[in-house]
Amino acid sequence: MSKNMEKRRAVVTGIGAVSPLGNSAEGLYRALLENRSGIRAMTEWCEEFGRNIAGAPVVLDPAEVKKISRKVRRTMGNAALFAGLAAQEAVTQSGLEADFFASGRVGCVIGSTVGSASSMTEACVADYEGRRNDLSACHFFRLMSHSSSFNVADMFGITGPQLSTNSACASGLQALGTALELIQLGKVDAVLAGGSDESTPLVASSFQLLYALAEEESPEPDKLSRPFDAGRTGLVCSEGAGILVVEELEHAKRRGAPILFELAGYATNCSGWHVSHSDELQIANCMRAALADAGVDARDVDYVSAHATGTRVGDAAEAAAIRAVLGGDTPVSSLKGHLGHTLGASGSLELAAVAGMMRDGVILPTRNLENVEDCAGIMLPRETQQRELRVCLKNSIAFGGVNATLICRRFD
Amino acid sequence: MDRNEIVKAVNSIFIERFELDEAELTPEKNIIEELELDSLDIVDMIVGLQQKFGIMLRDNPAIRNVRTLGDVYDLFEKLAAEHPEIVERLK
Repeated sequence: MSKNMEKRRAVVTGIGAVSPLGNSAEGLYRALLENRSGIRAMTEWCEEFGRNIAGAPVVLDPAEVKKISRKVRRTMGNAALFAGLAAQEAVTQSGLEADFFASGRVGCVIGSTVGSASSMTEACVADYEGRRNDLSACHFFRLMSHSSSFNVADMFGITGPQLSTNSACASGLQALGTALELIQLGKVDAVLAGGSDESTPLVASSFQLLYALAEEESPEPDKLSRPFDAGRTGLVCSEGAGILVVEELEHAKRRGAPILFELAGYATNCSGWHVSHSDELQIANCMRAALADAGVDARDVDYVSAHATGTRVGDAAEAAAIRAVLGGDTPVSSLKGHLGHTLGASGSLELAAVAGMMRDGVILPTRNLENVEDCAGIMLPRETQQRELRVCLKNSIAFGGVNATLICRRFD
Repeated sequence: MDRNEIVKAVNSIFIERFELDEAELTPEKNIIEELELDSLDIVDMIVGLQQKFGIMLRDNPAIRNVRTLGDVYDLFEKLAAEHPEIVERLK
């Protein structure tokens, strides 16, 4: 590739998080360092499930929510609210000027499984009860698939491309990959990108139906999410948003922005054969393609932030793919033991924590991992480790047979 | 039904749905230009009024002629006289 054909580079200059472990990226990271869990018994869902299953809800500060102007907030379901608050944190850290958003050189790419699961339920109930005329004019805008993306674009007055990568649990990582590619192509200079999602009884019951939910009632609900563990029984539904400011490197340098890490490579693919069964061959292919895109050798990956949700089949397939691509010497962990599965937010939200890990040279272990059986052959730390992290690989795997991998490089 | 009851019921919609201060809600205020409701808000105003007064409005041509808050009060004063169920509902 000639000099003038070199890809533009993209770096992260701001990170925002709304999570069951706090509503800031640093707060989330600190909670993870303390090995805290965001998972609790969902007593408010007891009527729907007949018992207190586990979940990991976000708690919002109404005063923070009200800082979003009414005319934007009125079309936001919870997922978009999570995205908006996370975006505000990321933009504040990045220091992007307000007038830059209207330049046409800023994009907004945010994905979710659905626009707002709770708003969808409300609309269905209203319809069933013959109360369609009671629905707000704003209601449809809350549940539209790209609700988080257009609401965040409106919050900041973004006039560039506005896209929504709605691929269930790969949504957030696909958004970041799309942001990287928009910058590489020269279409934009900065993108607010990430994922958001809500957890509701309907969402949890969708996994329950597929025997993919950790659905037992437990006196220790924080022990139920057990990625890679022999005793795992399924995922715990969670929610949140992770939004990052992805910016072209020279643009970030020129304005003296904080450069947190580089998005070095990305790939996404699909299995092409099954909507719910993880496909280890295509997960491996996706990881290899992302490494090739970044120009990174598999031996140079210092850490893998796995998708691993705690399902029997999914975790084993991902472990096999990691083993095939990286061998058994690269540390791997899943943050879903602490957080549960934040669905469409998981890729970007977990990456918000990985940023802290890269900065501090820390590898967080998988919470609740005690016995490895079918996920053996990869390095799964049981304790927090200190280790220089120059290159991290993040996986997301979603219903629909979708895989996504992002390669992050520490920026020195 | 006295006008004060209607004013109070109408204003509650503007306070709750559009987060306006009660002090701003005077009859001469133009709903779009001064209270800054936009097209989505106008639909929600109609939805709110329908719920509050228990009467369908969206196909009533009179609601399209409303310009000021006072026009809304006037409309409901007239509707309350024609529809006793409105008075019952507000009780």
